[in-house]
Amino acid sequence: MGSHLLKKIDTKYEHYLRDESRLVGKAETISFPESHDEIVEVIKHCYTNNIRVTVQGARTGLAAGSVPMEGHIMNLMKMDKILAIRSDRNGAFYLKAQPGLILSKLRELIKTKRLDCTGFDESSLEAYKQFIESEEMFFSPDPTETSATLGGMVACNASGARSYLYGSIRNHITGLKVVLSDGESLSLRRGENFAKGRELRVLTDSGRVILLDLPKYNMPRTKNASGYFIEDNMDAIDLFIGSDGTLGVISEIEIKLLKLPNVIWGAMCLLQKAETVDRFVDFLRAECEHVSSIEYFDSNSLEILRMQKIMNTAFKRLPDVEKDINAAIYIEIHADTEVIALDTLRKVASELEVIGEDSSNSWVARNQFDKDKLYFFRHAVPESVNMLIDQKRIDYPNITKLGTDMSVPDEYLSEIMNTYNSMLKERNLKSATWGHIGNNHLHVNILPENEEEYIRGKELYVEWASIVTQMGGAVSAEHGVGKLKSGMLTIMYGDKYISEMRKLKAQLDPIEILGIGSMFSVEEGDVK
Amino acid sequence: MRIVVCIKQVPSSNEVKMDPVTKTIIRDGKQSVINPYDSFAVEETIRIKRETGAETIAISMGIPSAEEIIRDSIARGIDRGMLLSDRNFAGSDTLATSYTLSLGIRELGKVDMILCGKLAIDGDTAQIGPELAEHLQIPHITDVDEFLEIHEDKVICKKSDEKHSTVLEVRLPALFTLNKDINNPRLPSISGVLDSLNKKVDICDSQKLKAEASMLGTAGSPTQVVRTFIPQSSKNTVMIEGKLEHKVSRIIEIIREES
Amino acid sequence: MGSLIIDREKCFGCGRCHKSCIYDGIKLQEGKAEVTNSCTLCGICIDSCPVNAIRIMNDKEANDDLSMYRDIWIFGETENGKLLPVVFELISKARELSNVRSCDVKVLIIGSKPSNLNEVYQYGVDEVIFYKIDSYEKTEETDIEIFDDAIRSYHPEIILYGATTYGRSIAPRVAARVRTGLTADCTQLEIDADNVLQQTRPAFGGNLMATIVCSHTRPQMATVRAGVFLPKKVDSENHKFTKKEISINTQKAIKIIQQSKKDEIKNISEADIILSVGRGIGSQKNLLAAEKLANLMGAQLGVSRPLVDIGWKERTCQIGQTGYNISPKLLIAIGISGAVQHLAGITNAGTIIAINSDPDASIFNIADYKIVGDSKEVIDEMILQIENAHS
Repeated sequence: MGSHLLKKIDTKYEHYLRDESRLVGKAETISFPESHDEIVEVIKHCYTNNIRVTVQGARTGLAAGSVPMEGHIMNLMKMDKILAIRSDRNGAFYLKAQPGLILSKLRELIKTKRLDCTGFDESSLEAYKQFIESEEMFFSPDPTETSATLGGMVACNASGARSYLYGSIRNHITGLKVVLSDGESLSLRRGENFAKGRELRVLTDSGRVILLDLPKYNMPRTKNASGYFIEDNMDAIDLFIGSDGTLGVISEIEIKLLKLPNVIWGAMCLLQKAETVDRFVDFLRAECEHVSSIEYFDSNSLEILRMQKIMNTAFKRLPDVEKDINAAIYIEIHADTEVIALDTLRKVASELEVIGEDSSNSWVARNQFDKDKLYFFRHAVPESVNMLIDQKRIDYPNITKLGTDMSVPDEYLSEIMNTYNSMLKERNLKSATWGHIGNNHLHVNILPENEEEYIRGKELYVEWASIVTQMGGAVSAEHGVGKLKSGMLTIMYGDKYISEMRKLKAQLDPIEILGIGSMFSVEEGDVK
Repeated sequence: MRIVVCIKQVPSSNEVKMDPVTKTIIRDGKQSVINPYDSFAVEETIRIKRETGAETIAISMGIPSAEEIIRDSIARGIDRGMLLSDRNFAGSDTLATSYTLSLGIRELGKVDMILCGKLAIDGDTAQIGPELAEHLQIPHITDVDEFLEIHEDKVICKKSDEKHSTVLEVRLPALFTLNKDINNPRLPSISGVLDSLNKKVDICDSQKLKAEASMLGTAGSPTQVVRTFIPQSSKNTVMIEGKLEHKVSRIIEIIREES
Repeated sequence: MGSLIIDREKCFGCGRCHKSCIYDGIKLQEGKAEVTNSCTLCGICIDSCPVNAIRIMNDKEANDDLSMYRDIWIFGETENGKLLPVVFELISKARELSNVRSCDVKVLIIGSKPSNLNEVYQYGVDEVIFYKIDSYEKTEETDIEIFDDAIRSYHPEIILYGATTYGRSIAPRVAARVRTGLTADCTQLEIDADNVLQQTRPAFGGNLMATIVCSHTRPQMATVRAGVFLPKKVDSENHKFTKKEISINTQKAIKIIQQSKKDEIKNISEADIILSVGRGIGSQKNLLAAEKLANLMGAQLGVSRPLVDIGWKERTCQIGQTGYNISPKLLIAIGISGAVQHLAGITNAGTIIAINSDPDASIFNIADYKIVGDSKEVIDEMILQIENAHS
């Protein structure tokens, strides 16, 4: 095998050929490196022998980023430690972690403050002592899937509901160590290396200089996880965040922790008139600064929940939503004091009155019991849709989940929602829509009755990609591009810029072994 | 009709661990919350209120911060509240607590139904309900699953024990302790939360209740904790180490040996 | 009233008492510990002080002449005309205690004679006290008057009740009627050097045990769940039987309209091999894997309380103080931290193999075999190895 770390893929490793997107791939070997050096060893072996590599974390991605097309799978789940901790003058804490650390485990470690400090150096031990004495901290990115790994989250620039206030994971990464396709590594620290215009110069750990010509496009100003992060005078570290496994293997990540707000409350506002939604969202954006998330559920989603509650005992604890409710907006309040939180509730109550809604049609969660209830409700929607799709697949096995992940600038929210609704009606397709309306980022899920509708749904999806692009939006706001949306990326940027992205990749991965099939479609004859 | 619901403030996390060396508590949660069993009692009280128009009062014996859980119950639909708070109540076991609660309830005049959660998750005794009923000299029913009919002078309810489900007719006034999960506690609404800030919560101390000092706090508590400890064990635990595959094959070996 | 007393000479301000308090009832002020208004006199700080500077002072004096109270009584609860198994377990424990206390063991039976009445003597009962009631209906309304009469007539020093649904309903009513102390769900009972009953039970919702005494009132009363103590036959010569007939006038406020038998759902208490899982299992998906493993092993799946609380499993599978006590030959506990209430349910298990990712989990204190590992990984690997062995 060359490197002893590579194992042949047999039935024991079959499940590594697929991920949450349901796409099934192909590969010959797999490795489970336990350190940066082992990653380097495997990469060097693959580089020398021209073997394509797909990097995996927990395989929870929805864009098939971790599904291999051929060659070797590098699974980083065994690298799940926290290597170091430091603090700065302002009392912020930074953790250096390995990419295979799962988000739920990371959250538990931050909450309990019980880090395994074997291997910590003096300064980490010192910082750890301070950490234990400090107020409670948290890591803000909150994708729905908490069993995702940190590495995967970095690779697709993950977000979640709270990114409305705190930004995507990009805002919280202060350091990265990346292994390039030839085994060289880059140690990047935010704020240390900036491009000059669109020319970026990086220095590998062994001292080699790499000059990169960055593409000339301008990214949409919306929430975005499509294609490479590129802008004038950009920070070098940002190139690798959201790069979908195509530029290098992330072997170490330094994340910044924030102080946990003293008061976190959830409020679900139930609206009778679906037309009041955009006005309400505009108000929340303009007037309520202590809101971390603004989430939306349309009447179809609510109807699905009503049905689930009747048909499925697992959902019997869902709160009741009356038939006259046609939309729900969830907000999460993050505040230093209850006084501020109550003030936000007052503002919301008075606005609801102004738009002709009833502030008693709402649920406020202030303790863990109630927050769990709201959490359950919010996640019951995507879960129910998944279950409905799974049921359809029994009769029509080619159907997969068809959920959009597109965002538009603020001023286009109303228009895009009308566009989604009218086109679905026109094409006679059933759907359910929910999502991060605060960022104009909605997941429109088309629910096909049969294969014919599935195909028409995919076509509609592609049409929307163009419309969203014309509005200055992004085709993938948080899931990444992976294998499934490379076509959409082309619609978004056009052939010229896609070609510039390919050139950029080629500068870092000249023999094309990293993440092949992700972001850029594989041409005929490209498979080795 | 007047209904009283008894609620208790408990530590939010049930994971109270003790550091074996320093004997200090390693706390997982900071806040105190309403005893989960009492949430179901509060919800049931609100349900009955909506059906019958009854007046509802939440009562709690606790430290001053327990007023929070009373206000929270009001936010969900209870009409008003009463907090029994006094340094002299400290150290109360269930006998002293139920005595104190009975004084508070007597202050309210005629009461038709008293609802309690079956037990509190910090003490886990399930004793307050029956003891309170005895102090008030009214009948009590434990383990209620459902109220089938509510009338001015009697209720029909269903209770369960290990082997039976029983439907009972109970003449009021009476006290009922409720099982968990008999209903789906509603969340307060935004208007409920904002309105509750202005509602009345009576605070009563031992003087206002005209309590007998010998029946309060430690004086009125026949039981006393004399020792808390981490359970020790005499077992010689064998640690199985190594890689996952080895550990598991050893486990399977032991299973085969034992069965 | 009582107060928390701090010996300021002994106190050197280490602050451990402050850290042990759940209520912020004790704080450091100018280098010494001081009690605050939030102190509830729960006593948990007493143990934390390294120099024993803290104590609770109780001003109450003993009332009643306690010496007239003698003997240990068991409430002979019946169901369908038979004494419940827990009654025999408690009789055996009472016999043990009575040997230390040098007193008799008596059983209180109410209503009609149970068919297995005479068996009690085989477990060491010295006397049966039988209250005969015509057309007896087992309700709290009736029994409270019997207990009242019995305690006033006979002055038992200790009364033990099975912690059945009914036992947990009648015992506190009795406690309030005669104004005495009651300790629920005891897992240990002992007579101490002062001839007082030491009642030990899981407490503070977590990993601690508390020992409670009822020093100034009588009778001392406790409820005990089935399966905590084991029944033990002894050689006994006493067969005393005393019958009392009294007429009871109750309010008869409670009327049974209908009673139906619940379906005999098998619960976990009788299983021989048990695979138990707790919160460490992580997700409901992993619970399904655990079920698969249990099937492969031929074991019954049991769970700890948190999993029942969140609705992942029914109560019939719940192991622990508020679930079922188990006594399997082999117990494999995965992802269970070992909260004291859970441990209370497994004290009679044979061989215990415990797997947990936390090397300090309390479950390891009572395990025969300790494995530190991730629950999901271990379950998956076990399934893999067992399936491979089968094929």
